[in-house]
Amino acid sequence: MKLNKLKVLSNEEIQTIHSATMELMSTVGVKMDAKDVQDLFEKHGATVDPDTDFVKIPEYLVKEQLKNVPNSFKLHGPDGSYSFEVNTESTKFASLPCPVSIYDKTQKKGIRKSTLADTIKQIRIVNALEHISSCQYDLWAHDVPFMELHCHALRAWARHSYKPYGMGCFGKIASQDMMNIASIIVGSEEDLIKRPRLIGFFSPTSPLHLPQIMTNGLAIFAKYKQPTIIAPEALAGSSAPVTLAGLLTQINAEILGGIILAQLYNSGAPVFYASVSHVTDMRSGNSALGSIETGLITAGVAQMANLYNIPSRALGGATDSKVFDLQNGIERLQTLMLAAQAGINYITCAGTYEATLSEALELLVIDDELVGMVQRALEGVEVNEDTIGLDIIKKVATSTQKGTTFLGEKHTLKHMRKELYFPTLLDRNRRATWRKKGSKDIMMRARERVDEILETQKGPGLSSEVENKLADYIKMVSERSIDFYTQAEGISASSVTIDNIEIKKEDLK
Amino acid sequence: MTLEDNLKAKILEWDEEGLIEICKSAIEKNEASATDILKMIGNVMEYVGELYEKEEYFVPELIVASNTVKAAIDQVLDPAIKEMGVEKETKGKVVLGTVEGDVHSIGKDLVGSFLFANGYEVFNLGVEVPAAKFIEKAEEVGAKVIGLSSLLTMSMDFQRKVINELEQKGLRDKYIVIIGGAPTSEDWAGEIGADGWADDALETVSLLNNLLS
Repeated sequence: MKLNKLKVLSNEEIQTIHSATMELMSTVGVKMDAKDVQDLFEKHGATVDPDTDFVKIPEYLVKEQLKNVPNSFKLHGPDGSYSFEVNTESTKFASLPCPVSIYDKTQKKGIRKSTLADTIKQIRIVNALEHISSCQYDLWAHDVPFMELHCHALRAWARHSYKPYGMGCFGKIASQDMMNIASIIVGSEEDLIKRPRLIGFFSPTSPLHLPQIMTNGLAIFAKYKQPTIIAPEALAGSSAPVTLAGLLTQINAEILGGIILAQLYNSGAPVFYASVSHVTDMRSGNSALGSIETGLITAGVAQMANLYNIPSRALGGATDSKVFDLQNGIERLQTLMLAAQAGINYITCAGTYEATLSEALELLVIDDELVGMVQRALEGVEVNEDTIGLDIIKKVATSTQKGTTFLGEKHTLKHMRKELYFPTLLDRNRRATWRKKGSKDIMMRARERVDEILETQKGPGLSSEVENKLADYIKMVSERSIDFYTQAEGISASSVTIDNIEIKKEDLK
Repeated sequence: MTLEDNLKAKILEWDEEGLIEICKSAIEKNEASATDILKMIGNVMEYVGELYEKEEYFVPELIVASNTVKAAIDQVLDPAIKEMGVEKETKGKVVLGTVEGDVHSIGKDLVGSFLFANGYEVFNLGVEVPAAKFIEKAEEVGAKVIGLSSLLTMSMDFQRKVINELEQKGLRDKYIVIIGGAPTSEDWAGEIGADGWADDALETVSLLNNLLS
């Protein structure tokens, strides 16, 4: 049997949380600042309090809109040669966003601000990893003007990767840029919509708030049917109740609020029921991403997603450690294993440490190994006549030739590659051999693999026609001012609220 | 039980109303002046701080104790001290806020609570605070310190904006500017010309104690 699903909620408890969420959504509501969002919800039967911006969402609206949410969708790489399906049954793994620093042992402090060159390296490494299906904007490029980040990131992705990509739904202008750029890369808007390439990241602000800059972006991602991750990062004890059941209820309202909004923007828009919620460390007040409770919350999230029949996403491979020590190993594996065993369908887990503030390229390949191990664990134990192998047991045990083992048997040859996980980075040699090979630890072996990938990995590249179009687009973006953005997004006091979300070409200049 | 024992008991029971009653009664009966009571409360908060450092108390205990004490100060002691016509003794006035474009508040609020618990007077402006508002408040209350928090890489630049505006107005030397927040660093503080940077709330207290000594 395959590994059974980790459960933290009984069926009755799932219903209790769902009912409590419905009460919360209909009596308290979810705060949504954007006028277009309020109008949209009101049109569909919600009540808006204009003084507090809280939108009270009745249960029937939730039920009605959940019917339209797809339970599976496909994601494609830039040239379309690579794709995978996300659904409510399978588990896929991706890297984890979004560190702002990178491990660099040439630096005195061992760490430095990341750059676009690092972002590119990360894309290239993910591309070469066996178990990691996708990445997103995972490493902050401090050397790029932040108003152009999304453009440079997407261009780097298209040049170097065959796998899909992802970015934050940070505003309608930037999100529309992403769609425009992706359309240039893949050849047409039609193809982008038909074969989605981009995963959107939508972040509610806990408790119970969907900020305008995010809903602006969600409108675009929903319009273009790019699967969007609706993921609160609530911290038990500070931005959500310290009680995990309370946190699960609160984030359920935040997630469902975002999912319903996506459907109202474009019925059938693909979404992930998601969370990167965890707990507060009560000693420091800091977030505790590597905590054991992260996995428990994640397991609850998986069960709630199952109730609504929506693919789920959560994090794994998370650690609060600032070094590559036992704490790092302990936390990254247990958060990953709990998420996988809970049946999360898309686990963002590779590459980070220091509570996702920092990245190490070595960790990308190590996490690829961990995912391999975890995937083996999920397979459980296969039981049938052949795997029980009474004949082979009898043969070896009763063999008159002393010292017969199973090592030389055809049965072993036949089954070993499926039964055993063959690690590439974990060392199981005896000490003398290990010494002879250089007494390396896993970080050193990972570094060798990183160097090898960077030496050999090649992406699809882009035609000169596409390169020129992208260069022109980026030039246009670079000429915008910050005021242009704040006004267009309606997020500054002096801005004008833009009623419709249609972006005309003139709006982009 | 002495008055201070009584105050301590109420604070450690998180009894806001009880604490307010004792303060009112002590002032009315001339048992102690408002400034003396404030000093006694300061001693109790120092004790709470010690319990926190010994890891017998955690962040929520510290915050609840601070909130209990703040209620009594706002409702009874501050008005009484004003009536006495004296200046309230504090370690220093601190204007605190999360910068423009950023709604994250937990870290900043923790800093506020810790500073308050350690004898500073804190003016917490909340989130998405424009540069002008920081400066306006600091001028209004005669603050010594302006504290700027940012949790988004994209809002970090607004910390620089506050410092630049202070310079433009010729007010830079009047204030100690400290910064913090997950994506910030000591290097970033140096780059933008801040006077200090702290990693977390407890470190902020040490930082200010050093900078103001």
